[in-house]
Amino acid sequence: MDDIFVAVTGINASDNPAPGIGVARSLKGQNVKIAGLAYDAMEPGIYMDWLIDKSFLIPYPSAGSEALMERLLYIKQHFGLDVVVPTLDSELPFFIKYRSELEHHGIKTCLPSEEQFRLRSKERLAAIAEQSGLQAPKQAIVTSYNELAKAVQEIGLPVMVKGTLYKAYHAHTLEEAMAYFGKIVAQWGYPVIVQQAVTGEEMNVIGVGDGAGNLPGRVAVKKMSVTELGKIWTGVTIQHPGLLEATQRFVATTRWRGAFEMECIVDQDTVYLIEINPRFPAWVYFATGVGINLPIMLLKLALGETVETAGEYQAGKLYIRYTDEQICDMSRFQNIVTRGES
Amino acid sequence: MTNNRIARLAVNEEGFVFDPQTGESFTVNDTGKTILKALIESKAQEGIAIKLTEQFNVSHQEAQADVRDFIQHLRAYQLL
Repeated sequence: MDDIFVAVTGINASDNPAPGIGVARSLKGQNVKIAGLAYDAMEPGIYMDWLIDKSFLIPYPSAGSEALMERLLYIKQHFGLDVVVPTLDSELPFFIKYRSELEHHGIKTCLPSEEQFRLRSKERLAAIAEQSGLQAPKQAIVTSYNELAKAVQEIGLPVMVKGTLYKAYHAHTLEEAMAYFGKIVAQWGYPVIVQQAVTGEEMNVIGVGDGAGNLPGRVAVKKMSVTELGKIWTGVTIQHPGLLEATQRFVATTRWRGAFEMECIVDQDTVYLIEINPRFPAWVYFATGVGINLPIMLLKLALGETVETAGEYQAGKLYIRYTDEQICDMSRFQNIVTRGES
Repeated sequence: MTNNRIARLAVNEEGFVFDPQTGESFTVNDTGKTILKALIESKAQEGIAIKLTEQFNVSHQEAQADVRDFIQHLRAYQLL
């Protein structure tokens, strides 16, 4: 069988890790050649040649769709590109919008539709929570300090102040909320979401929907410890019936296609839906490690192959991150800087 | 659902307890392990106290108090 050429973004395995390396690690060992797509020459994935066969710099989404499309076509021509797996939130609008054009060029994807992508936005969380049989924290979308103050008064302190794509801060006072509002607006722009801060255990489910309402694979975990940036450092697999049933309902009602991560806060039997990310998280290899290889399922779905529903995973499997170093020749850095590929 | 939670707990021989629904884990001593395993098997409180009396060389009254106390703890953690 011929190799399948897959490009994966988000290969920045830093203290704020992107999902690309977990995806690449899950795909490795299959008949797959992996191109790592990086935005910066210092992204660690470029130097992880045991996972990434070849790396390419790609333009930031702000450079425009034409520049990125051109780069993808270059990669297709010079390395090979059958499937692209975008893993970063900011990239998804491009890949969803130009899915047909990519397909026309022989580059396949497995992504939610534009409507599905909008549906899971933080602004519409309450509706999707209700459909899935979950609770949603009270929230308001604000675009000014006045609206923020009004929202905080209505929701009650403490609150979470969030950007629509990135960043979330816990504010205990109105002053704190205002400071975080300013910080988010300065970095990510409007609008900002103010959300009731609910208490409980942070539990997440990741999975892949096949676009026909089926959920061939999912894994639920509890984060045992997180870094200062809120990234998982240790975790454990769990079997929470309410959470898993809600996941099933979410995929069935939205007919979700592609990867997703449901972030929830669980207080005994009450499950609050906090966020739905339309992509894998950086810890996606945890699922692979417990026998549910979600990136392979995604790849098969992108290729139009049938995906069997995975068996059950075991609760009580641990995930432990660690740091590592590597030493390599300067030439690889030189290549990526001067040629844009390595 | 809360009432069934104790039945789902995994208890090993060293007294390590894992709740697969919440991911919580904790440890119990030999007395706690005996009580917990008996509760998982749906044994009655009086029967558990008798078992403790036989196994740990304590008075029946003391064993009854231990069982009550342990059950209170489980309730506090909403496992019962």
